[in-house]
Amino acid sequence: MTDDRFDRLLREVAQDYHRPPTPPREEMWRAIVATRATRRQRRDVWRATLRWGVGIAAVLALGVAIGRFSAGRGGADSATSDRSSGLAYQLAAAQYLTRTEALLTGFRTETRAGEPAASQFAAQARDLLGTTRLMLDSPAAADVRLRALLEDLELVLAQIAQLPARGNPEDVQVITHALEQRSVLLRLRSASSPAPGLGRTQGAL
Amino acid sequence: MDERDLIARVRAGDGAAERAFYDAHVDRIYRLAYRLAGDDELAREFTQDTFVRAFERLGTFRGEAKLSTWLHAIATSVALNGLRKVTRLRQRVVDLDDAAGVATGPRRAEPDLKTRLAQAIQGLPRGYRTVFVMHDVEGYTHEEIGASLGIETGTSKAQLSRARAKLRDALADFAGEWT
Repeated sequence: MTDDRFDRLLREVAQDYHRPPTPPREEMWRAIVATRATRRQRRDVWRATLRWGVGIAAVLALGVAIGRFSAGRGGADSATSDRSSGLAYQLAAAQYLTRTEALLTGFRTETRAGEPAASQFAAQARDLLGTTRLMLDSPAAADVRLRALLEDLELVLAQIAQLPARGNPEDVQVITHALEQRSVLLRLRSASSPAPGLGRTQGAL
Repeated sequence: MDERDLIARVRAGDGAAERAFYDAHVDRIYRLAYRLAGDDELAREFTQDTFVRAFERLGTFRGEAKLSTWLHAIATSVALNGLRKVTRLRQRVVDLDDAAGVATGPRRAEPDLKTRLAQAIQGLPRGYRTVFVMHDVEGYTHEEIGASLGIETGTSKAQLSRARAKLRDALADFAGEWT
């Protein structure tokens, strides 16, 4: 058989490979419209959070400035003001990482204790899953290390969010295995822990 | 309505134009997503994500490529990244099964040619498989494939040639049925 003939036959038979059904146009369009509306809402929340963070950063910066002025010190350390400028983002991210760490630690502890990891975690996971996706769409995801962590968290939180009320033991096992195999908690703690001499929000972020 | 008008109206937030844009491209995008994923739920997810991203990024479209090429670049990126994620998730489950010593299922009967071909395509490296599916199954040109995947046209041709060679090897024992 020549190569041409083989290629022709290959193309014919390959038409059955993953043969698509009729596209569900209307269903997909409705989902697209809904997703876009949700994203718009999330963006609004993110902007509001940033505004809140910027407000706090401004107050802190003002406090630092007033402190310096009243102490009458000259030549202040410019690094302090540099740190304040990134505080808005760090506050939101640190709060998210701390909540996620608390949820996953609690989940793992209860699982190890043999208690059913039930729907009490699902609602929190759903909430955090939204924030995770928001962060994946934010400039925070430009950091390769943080992005990899966020992608792992997205998977784990999605699995917890879908747990049935009584917690299927096999599902729970898959989740705890994923947590351990990818060292998710360790990386999460590393990302949210403070660097020496800095506040909590000044950690690996 | 020509493409430029359509883009301008979508950028301006015209709902009817957004729907027209969707209707013009959805079938081809969904077909490609389904061919790559082999699963309706994933194909829907990839198609939806493609359009959500396209609407968000249309403001950055500079018209240097055709709109359909630009859209297909988003679609292939979404689908291939999505499939990587799914593969990772499935691998974790497989690892868990291995760790638990779960036995594999009973030996199946010798598959027919179509089944063997499907398995052989599935077994191709991801790059080869994507080019093969786009070219030989869905009929994209090498120029379209190159633009969508961000590779040279020559690379697309080379990958297709290697994909076919691997498939030929994988199906060698069926050669008698094909002559």
